[in-house]
Amino acid sequence: MKVAKVSFSALITISLIYLLNSSWVIGGNRLPPLGKFLDPFHGFWQNMEPANKTGEQELSIPGLKAKVTVVYDSILIPHIFAQNDEDLYLAQGYVTAMHRLWQMEFQTHAAAGRVSEITGPGKNGLILNFDRGQRRLGMSFGAEHVLKAVMSDPLSRLMTEKYSEGINQYIQSLNYDDLPFEYKLLDYDPEPWAPIKCALLLKNMAQTLDMGDKDIEMTNALKLFGKDMVDILYPDMEPVGDPIVDNPGGWKFNPVKIDSIPMALPDELIHTKKLPGEDPTTGSNNWAVSGSKTVTGSPMLCGDPHLNLSLPSIWYAVQLNAPGINAMGASLPGAPAIIIGFNDSIAWSVTNAQRDLVDWYAIKYQQSNRDNYLLDEKWIPTKKQIEKFKVRGESVFYDTVIYTTWGPVTYDRNYHAEDNLKDYAFRWLAHDESNEFITFYLLNRGKNHDDYMQALNHFSAPAQNFVFASVSGDVAMRIQGKYPVRRKDEGKFVLDGSKSSMGWKAFIPNEQNVMYKNPARGFVSSANQYPVDATYPYYVTATHFEAYRNRRINQVLGESNKIDVAYLMKLQNDNYNLKAAESLPVFLSYVDSTSLNAEEKQAYQKLKAWDYYNNVNSEGASYYEAWWDNLMPLLWDEMNNPNTTLYTPTTFNTIHLIKTKPDFNFFDVQKTSEKETAKEVIQQAFKLGVAEVVKWKKDHTSETVDWADYKDSYVGHLLRIDPLSIHVKHGGNHDIVNANSKTHGPSWRMIVSLEKSGVKCWATYPGGQSGNPGSEHYADMLNKWVNGQYYSILFMHSPTDDAGKIFYSTQLNASSK
Amino acid sequence: MRFLIQMITVIILAFLLELFLPWWSIALAALAAGVAVRSNANFLAGFLGIAILWLAKAWLIDSSAATPLVEKVARIFTLPNKSLLFLVMALLGGLVGGFAAFTGSLLKKKS
Repeated sequence: MKVAKVSFSALITISLIYLLNSSWVIGGNRLPPLGKFLDPFHGFWQNMEPANKTGEQELSIPGLKAKVTVVYDSILIPHIFAQNDEDLYLAQGYVTAMHRLWQMEFQTHAAAGRVSEITGPGKNGLILNFDRGQRRLGMSFGAEHVLKAVMSDPLSRLMTEKYSEGINQYIQSLNYDDLPFEYKLLDYDPEPWAPIKCALLLKNMAQTLDMGDKDIEMTNALKLFGKDMVDILYPDMEPVGDPIVDNPGGWKFNPVKIDSIPMALPDELIHTKKLPGEDPTTGSNNWAVSGSKTVTGSPMLCGDPHLNLSLPSIWYAVQLNAPGINAMGASLPGAPAIIIGFNDSIAWSVTNAQRDLVDWYAIKYQQSNRDNYLLDEKWIPTKKQIEKFKVRGESVFYDTVIYTTWGPVTYDRNYHAEDNLKDYAFRWLAHDESNEFITFYLLNRGKNHDDYMQALNHFSAPAQNFVFASVSGDVAMRIQGKYPVRRKDEGKFVLDGSKSSMGWKAFIPNEQNVMYKNPARGFVSSANQYPVDATYPYYVTATHFEAYRNRRINQVLGESNKIDVAYLMKLQNDNYNLKAAESLPVFLSYVDSTSLNAEEKQAYQKLKAWDYYNNVNSEGASYYEAWWDNLMPLLWDEMNNPNTTLYTPTTFNTIHLIKTKPDFNFFDVQKTSEKETAKEVIQQAFKLGVAEVVKWKKDHTSETVDWADYKDSYVGHLLRIDPLSIHVKHGGNHDIVNANSKTHGPSWRMIVSLEKSGVKCWATYPGGQSGNPGSEHYADMLNKWVNGQYYSILFMHSPTDDAGKIFYSTQLNASSK
Repeated sequence: MRFLIQMITVIILAFLLELFLPWWSIALAALAAGVAVRSNANFLAGFLGIAILWLAKAWLIDSSAATPLVEKVARIFTLPNKSLLFLVMALLGGLVGGFAAFTGSLLKKKS
């Protein structure tokens, strides 16, 4: 009896421990092991850091050649002082992992299509579907090519291997208590890091920036609307003006010529529902102003990449100091070196170069076993790659991806089989071998314009507008990437994969890329607009080009010859809505103000009185944006076709067509029997927009509709966990210099003054240096970012200067293994 | 009195074991206290011992913490506030402690 009682009681205890030590999926949500997670001695409580951590720490790191000193300032930026390159990159890997390990690993898992290993297949298999898409887009295929190039160059090999070694040293030092919060929440452990993950991170960036295309959409438009209409709806070059480099007649080189056989245009309707592409509101600003236009007489440079704002933050600020290098700026957690920044001699930043670097090739198989495909009238064997998905909590999932000479076949009968007659192979420039790490190695150590030019010669993808300024007084812009030489209209539509003549035959030589130095106007700038004047001898096309931010930036930079830091801070945070200034007067003229109800009258008055600034408290901005957001789908209802995928024309072209062709056929709303012109549709959208605002006011029991409240921007956690995300009250929007839309925006605002007496930098970003939601540095910079304020960045020359500004220091000592 | 001694034994042992072992070492502590110091309310002593220890430790961490992470974790678990998260934690730890102490007390009776 007693034995039974003891056994029973012991069984309950052990079962309880088992239950609380395991992770369970309840109602589709994975719970962490509750006992393990909630235990204050080891669980998530251990991730809660005390405030104002100061002090000194000493660590022994195997693999270091000599002592490395890391000092942290008030915002936890590490200033790393090493005695050689090997130790520098090892320490960068170690320190970055200390603050961002979970994010680094998660992002590379996402790039490689391995998220379902951590989370399970997701609701309706969504996450597994995402993973399959990543494999079928050849993300790892591209990363392996990069790795090959990286390993064959001793410099990039050293950087990535040492950086990886540093990360692994940190991982090895961890026990459960120290694991980042998200590992505990999702109940898994980090795996060892390897250089391929650095390459995957670059592909992750390339996917965000460089994978945009509308070939399938354009093919459908061609079939449905005809070539003439396609040229009206989607012109190659919009009548905007102000390209990045305006240098008419200055292109004095012999361009690469390829055969001039006109492209055969496809004649088909494709039903495949594409994977979501890049967000068209992603973009960036950068500029550099010559000393002739600044108060100090020294050049100034601004960088401001706009991305999907997330926590942990996209960028990790760091200073790297070793013999031959003293550089500082923003790094990408998971990649060695500084990506956007400055040193004692130069500064540089990037915006995305809009360019079509994607093509889709229709594949014709010999038989349904897909062993062979047609190329130049021969049957060529395919390569079948079996992708394995170790889906958490489920059995392993296998997917066969077929590779052709063009690349992987993304869409076929097994994936997005909406159109199972068609197999499309994906050709992406970022699949090719390249070694961007060398670019950053050289830029970090660059002394002058020649060094910058040399560094950029190694850069292929993702194509970027590299702005440059130097202490010696130069400013420059170069639109660097590897660009196929294209015939007119090539790359706009899907291509015939059975002819090798459809492939990319040649690339524009580096020295013929769009670039200039010290232009007469005294500044260079880029904001994702059309790259170059019409005399540039190569055909340029992309999904879309930016049309508003760039003109506002150029206007403001052109207006002053007494530019100082405050002026540039104001410009980076400028909320002037040029798009509204160019469209609202026309819209208002179409509204019959006599037939409005009380709410509509009020909206009409507020819009009339609006100064076109999307400021935090602006109500006019709310009414305008609500109007616009209702107008686009009404005007372009033809593009929302349930049977096929189409592309909505750009903002600029829409406004241009409203002004020049108000009775354009497309403006007619299809579901009504009346024939609408732009005027009727604009009126309808106005009423819908006002109704939306009225509803918002009611839902929020608010008398007013301030723009920042209505927009409700937020910085979301990578796992889309709402309590770990932060909502902010911030002005701006897409198409505005302060490009903060609901989810995207300025991810690193930097201003550098290249003074002979010492380079100065001001910066901020919407987040913080620590990836730990339990750290005071998780989002401590956000407040200044929201208010348009900056940190004066501490740029050191030895670990002991500015001792008063150092909060914490870590000594990394070499230790024998 | 025995009850208090037993509960304090649970607290001290669990605190010491948790310095070196994972969370489930609280069961070892409560079990040992159940064997060594049997009282007339073994389950309650184990339950309260662990609950008090965990609450105290969690409160100490939270009171010097730089961020309201507890609040956020409570929201992740769809709990309305952090007090409930403290309670859930104390309850789960307490149950393990309680059953372990009870098991221990039964072992003692047998010998």
